[in-house]
Amino acid sequence: MVSENEAIKVRIKFKKYGSLMYISHLDLSRTMQRIMVRSGIDIWYSEGFNPQPRIVFACPLPVGVESECELMDIKINTPMECDEIKRRLNDNFPSEMEALDVYFPEAKIKEIAYIDYEIRINSTKISDGICEKLENMFSHDLFVIKKSKGSEKEINIKEYINSFSAKIEQNELVIHTVLCSGGEKNLSPELLVDTIRKNTELLNGSPLEEYYSILRKRILKGNLEIFK
Amino acid sequence: MQNLSSILKSVSKPGRYTGGEYGQIIKDKKNIKCRIAFCFPDTYEIGMSNLGVRLLYGALNSMPDVWCERVYAPWTDMEEQMREHKIPLFAHESKDNVKDFDIVAFSLQYELCYTTAINMLDLAGIPMLACDRGEDDPVILGGGPCAYNAEPVADFFDIFSIGEGEEALPELAELYMRMKGNGTYTKTAFLREASHLKGFYVPSLYEVRYNEDGTISSFEPKYDDVPKRVEKRIIKDLNTSCFPTKPIMPFIEVVHDRIMLETFRGCIRGCRFCQAGMVFRPVREKSAEVLNCQAREIFENTGYTEISLTSLSISDYSCLHEATDKLLEWTNPNKINLSLPSLRADSFTKELMNKVSSIRQSGLTFAPEAGTQRLRDAINKNLYEKDLMNAVRLAFEGGKSQVKLYFMNGLPTETYEDIEGISSLASRVVDEYYKTPNRSKKPVTVTVSVSCFVPKPHTPFQWEPQNSLEELCDKQKYLAEKITDRKIRYTWHEAKVSRLEAVFSKGNRRLSRAILCAQQKGMRFDAWDEHFDYEKWMQVFEECGIDPDFYANRRMGYDEILPWDVIDIGVSKKFMMSESKKAYESVTTPNCKEKCSGCGANKLGGDMTWCPKMKQ
Repeated sequence: MVSENEAIKVRIKFKKYGSLMYISHLDLSRTMQRIMVRSGIDIWYSEGFNPQPRIVFACPLPVGVESECELMDIKINTPMECDEIKRRLNDNFPSEMEALDVYFPEAKIKEIAYIDYEIRINSTKISDGICEKLENMFSHDLFVIKKSKGSEKEINIKEYINSFSAKIEQNELVIHTVLCSGGEKNLSPELLVDTIRKNTELLNGSPLEEYYSILRKRILKGNLEIFK
Repeated sequence: MQNLSSILKSVSKPGRYTGGEYGQIIKDKKNIKCRIAFCFPDTYEIGMSNLGVRLLYGALNSMPDVWCERVYAPWTDMEEQMREHKIPLFAHESKDNVKDFDIVAFSLQYELCYTTAINMLDLAGIPMLACDRGEDDPVILGGGPCAYNAEPVADFFDIFSIGEGEEALPELAELYMRMKGNGTYTKTAFLREASHLKGFYVPSLYEVRYNEDGTISSFEPKYDDVPKRVEKRIIKDLNTSCFPTKPIMPFIEVVHDRIMLETFRGCIRGCRFCQAGMVFRPVREKSAEVLNCQAREIFENTGYTEISLTSLSISDYSCLHEATDKLLEWTNPNKINLSLPSLRADSFTKELMNKVSSIRQSGLTFAPEAGTQRLRDAINKNLYEKDLMNAVRLAFEGGKSQVKLYFMNGLPTETYEDIEGISSLASRVVDEYYKTPNRSKKPVTVTVSVSCFVPKPHTPFQWEPQNSLEELCDKQKYLAEKITDRKIRYTWHEAKVSRLEAVFSKGNRRLSRAILCAQQKGMRFDAWDEHFDYEKWMQVFEECGIDPDFYANRRMGYDEILPWDVIDIGVSKKFMMSESKKAYESVTTPNCKEKCSGCGANKLGGDMTWCPKMKQ
């Protein structure tokens, strides 16, 4: 094994969807360690009494959210073609996970500022004016309670939303929204959905008739360029 | 699954219900002639840790026209949601309703899973009682250790698989497909035909009559073609039998999240209380070569970094040193930990301690079971105090400061002297620590963990009564008073749980109605502390006119027809009786490697390279 500085840093972009959305970040990282071992990728291990493979996830994905742009960084001891890494990972990923791209990182993880989400709401209560109502709602001051690690604080949700648009597609309400992420300011898409539930008629009925899905589309830098 | 998403977001650990793991088997339904739902009546985390289920999943799915899927018991929060929104129990892989499968199989690992098992049928929309089910309902199959006395759940199951199932279950599936294919299938005809296969017990084909005192007066097959006794199945050669090397990789943390390598089946020891030691006879070993190849393959297919060598008593594995040497050659460079559970104190050596990392890392556990030599002889433990002292000294010299000792209360012939013996034995272990010159600097902790004896079917102690609840509690209290040394930590099992286990272990068909009544009262997950309700169970027994003392606290006669006599485990009743009598004389029986005691299990065949009788 080489020293940490000599190890080669590689970034992997992958999809995680379907039933895998219920797999927590902690469970995913344990799963990923095993995937690296069975893929035969010569991953760098931390030094010390209990060596662990070094895998860093860019922005841990909340349970219940699907993603087509997850990022994780690994370090490898011996050089290996990026395409070869991608092939090996896809051979060893569970069926609802897919490596999309493997490359040498360009930006540092702390440069992440926003995440682009697509939220789809299925509901019998979708009315004609709902899109305007929602767009209007999130462009004005709206105070909500944000919970994080046991503490609660009131925030103006508008300040955490970079853009928000809604449209109706085949009876489904489709929202595209860019939310603050990383660093100090962070908004979970679940809190956004929760705010919709509390301020409209949507998603207050039976969970079998009214449901929603959240998909992480793109990870962005402060200038709204794609983080690579 | 789309409409389940909101529900899954609201329950704890949704990963229990979603499937999608690496290694799960998905087949095209078009090509499938027999769909099997393999149910484990406990949570996903426990069910996924069961090696038997994994073996059978592999064996059944190796058949091209069979698709076997997994089902686990939904936790109570999920059950609530499923009942509220009328979502029937579904299988992990396809998410199809369990009701639509051909065969629904249950692995019955311990008695306290019975309410959970039948509740799963209810959740699937399948009538719980076999007599209420129709032709369109699946065939309900039971197996696992509890099938050795399946009588308490006989009313719920159509058929039981007795013994090891890797060969038997595929035969049953073949029969099902053959009869479906040639149009001869009706459930009645199928079950009758299946009763002719080796190792299958169809409870509805037997008539049980009772005496006035509740004992059995006759237990006979209803038809001449149905076997009088059902002989258990065994796998004759573990080197060639199916052992799946691409196991399913759970996402969420399960109880045993590692490579489980089966080294051998059976046990040479013959402890008189131990059911596993009797029902898994004869001993059959896997060669070190085969074991090593399987380990390597599983490692490459999983990426697990821990290997556990499983067996009933690992130090009795005749190729243990050869196997560990072969394994360590590649496990060490790959940073894989090797662990050896179930070590006997008399075979614990310095060499083993240095080899095995699990021993290096954690504390050590030994099971003397009883506090005095007299009682250890009565239960045929064949362990001497000097062996235990030797083992703990080695451990202390190796830097250990924690030792855990397992004992049992309420064993046949136990006296208060024996209980006091537990306390004094633990004290002598503490003394041994301070006598060890190069010991660790930490203070010593000796944990004494005491469970309650539960008489089990198919053991020499099967006729024994369990101590009454009061006696068991008195004994626990007595020991607590005797242990005054603060270096000894004393923990004990809830006696009420053991009592309920005894009722069901030794139960007969009349208990089915109590299990049904309990399910209807909302009882399930009885093995979980937060759900176990002894008083409610006593109320159930009273309502159903069942006297729990009759089952748990009555000495059965040697000439009595036992509810489980219909099952032939290979070991003769004559041997059990002789062992039972020897217990009262504190006379031991040598282990199978020293001398064959003629228990009868050799009639089942199997590879007996280790057997002294065969060598002659």
